[in-house]
Amino acid sequence: MPPGDKWRRRDSGPVVRPYAVTGGRTEPAADEMLDLLTVVVGTGQPAAADDPARLTPEHRKILSLCGQQITVADLAADIALPLGVVRVLLADLILQGAITVVRQRPAGQRTGNDVLQEILNGLRAL
Amino acid sequence: MGSGHSDTAAAFTAHKILIAGGFGSGKTTLVGAISEVRPLRTEETLTTASVGLDDLSGIGTKTTTTVALDFGRITIGSRVVLYLFGLPGQERFSFMWDELSYGALGVVILADVRRLSDCFPSVNYFERQRLPFVVAINCFDDAPRYDTEEVRLALDLDSDVPLVLCDARDLSSVKQVLITLVETIAARRSGVASRTVTPRT
Repeated sequence: MPPGDKWRRRDSGPVVRPYAVTGGRTEPAADEMLDLLTVVVGTGQPAAADDPARLTPEHRKILSLCGQQITVADLAADIALPLGVVRVLLADLILQGAITVVRQRPAGQRTGNDVLQEILNGLRAL
Repeated sequence: MGSGHSDTAAAFTAHKILIAGGFGSGKTTLVGAISEVRPLRTEETLTTASVGLDDLSGIGTKTTTTVALDFGRITIGSRVVLYLFGLPGQERFSFMWDELSYGALGVVILADVRRLSDCFPSVNYFERQRLPFVVAINCFDDAPRYDTEEVRLALDLDSDVPLVLCDARDLSSVKQVLITLVETIAARRSGVASRTVTPRT
């Protein structure tokens, strides 16, 4: 052991490598575009009706945070897991029907002028 | 359905503004000055190992650097949420810029006049991307003051790119920068948007 057990300090970070919680998978299973600002929400359906035991604690944590519509970015921040990991876990839950993606606006359509005006007014009022 | 999409009505719409700029230019400070929630900090302490990679000259005593995402959210009314994402500044993180730029409304590029060249990559990148941006000179207490026109020349900015002074620690200052950006985005769309880009002389 090298002097000054530096690997045991409290701030040494997680002791499990990030993708351990996905079983080593780095690509989401569902063919979903999970952008940072993609909004997801729980469907209220039980996940993985066939074998709920396969839900990891992280899956359950995500489910518990998806009671209300939430962005992928907020989810990743709340659950304190790397974004890539959250995407994999989210995709699992989407495949299992427990979580769904909330359509924001037609893909590729830019933010409307009315929304820009709303943002401007909101910023001025801060 | 099948693809996991629902017909659930969106409770809010999420919009994104990027905060770019060189290492130590104040991106995290800016996001923190205006955001509803403290940004997600994924900072790493700079060790001697990174001294060769991250040029520390002229940035005082900063010993940590933002390596991943740093974001904050501003709730606008009940149905609009504005997200501010700090772009990892160093060019070696630029592989993340494409993804982060996707769908962004526009960009604030923070500049530190002591290390102006640090924001060259951001300016180049967002000019190419045709994303609306403003350049905000973060007025550090101990930094020399330059005329904004000198900075504009140094950055070779198009005349329609706003260049403003700001204090990234100050809410009203940050607010003004964001307002300038959103006004720029709106102006680009109304008529000005159809103008073809004229070659610089």
